[in-house]
Amino acid sequence: MKSIARNLLGNAADAEDAVQEAFLKIYRNAATFRGGAAFSTWIYRVVVNACYDALRRRKTRPAGPSLETEDGRELALPARTPSDHLLRLALEKSVARLAPKHRAVFLLFEVEGFTHGEIARILWIPEGTSKTFLFDAKKKLQRWLATRPGTRRTVSP
Amino acid sequence: MIGECRRLDAALEAGDAAAIETVRAHAQECVRCGERLRAFDEIAAAAPHLKKSWESPELWPRIRESLVKESFAASAAPVEHERSPRIAPTWPAWIPIAAIATLFVVSFVGLQVFRPALGDRQIFGVRSFPKDALMTDAALQDVEKSEREYVRSIENLARVAEPRLSAADTPLLLSYREKLLLLDSAIAELSGQIEQNRYNTHLRRQLLGIYAEKQQTLREVMKGATS
Repeated sequence: MKSIARNLLGNAADAEDAVQEAFLKIYRNAATFRGGAAFSTWIYRVVVNACYDALRRRKTRPAGPSLETEDGRELALPARTPSDHLLRLALEKSVARLAPKHRAVFLLFEVEGFTHGEIARILWIPEGTSKTFLFDAKKKLQRWLATRPGTRRTVSP
Repeated sequence: MIGECRRLDAALEAGDAAAIETVRAHAQECVRCGERLRAFDEIAAAAPHLKKSWESPELWPRIRESLVKESFAASAAPVEHERSPRIAPTWPAWIPIAAIATLFVVSFVGLQVFRPALGDRQIFGVRSFPKDALMTDAALQDVEKSEREYVRSIENLARVAEPRLSAADTPLLLSYREKLLLLDSAIAELSGQIEQNRYNTHLRRQLLGIYAEKQQTLREVMKGATS
């Protein structure tokens, strides 16, 4: 949960605030939850909504991923090669540029491993919209990644 | 863009792996589609590494603190209501005095009329209300005994579910585990408050409500284990 909040909000401090807010909402409404299979989607919905609230309060999109990887707090998986590492950094920056809904769908599908059906229930959007958002997000990422330094790609989406 | 290119885009949008495979041959000849397929594969391979993990030693204590504050605020709310400023009465001052006097007279007459029904009990030093009209120590012991049995049955269920929760490997089970931690924290807080005031039925009801939620959650965990 902290991970999706961190990727949606762009920094760990805001992510922890959002998770705290989400936990309080979950605690207040735990008695109203029914239906086992949807519990994880319900939890994620609360977290994503808390992130959206934080974004609305902030009024601006995150400028990009913070450099917290350098302060030793994060335990990211090691990159196999320098180019892997560069790609990840570039991808992280590009994902932060996506519109909130596109970013949420991308993160839930590609990072958290949810299906489009589950994402539809988390974000309250049709399943087809989830697929379209993911495709649009990837097209944008492809375009932005192609323009990063040291990339030979010239193809426009 | 030709028909094959559109087919690749449609397959990518639908996430249809079989359809993507059918146009892979085209992607080897078409620069645009080749680049797109390679980029999408690269993104999909790199994306899981965006999952972040870091230590947050202050987060859980902060959540606990907020929960405690909320729970105290909820229990203090009626007191605040009682203390809220009241609108000054607009009727003459003698009316409340007259009302109290009337109440006193009616009570006195009532006591005289219904005295036989009260038997030998003492009121205001002369005769009293029946003892069982309040939550007596004996009744409290009964309640506590029933609660202990109820809690014991839930804790037994928790012990049965423990191995499954310890080895939680799906988002659903991890969520259940977090929910149970949250419920246990709330139980500990409420139990502490009840220790301070064992006769508070409102707190007891709240505690039983949380235990019921815990029982329901454990059942869901076990249902998942057997299905």
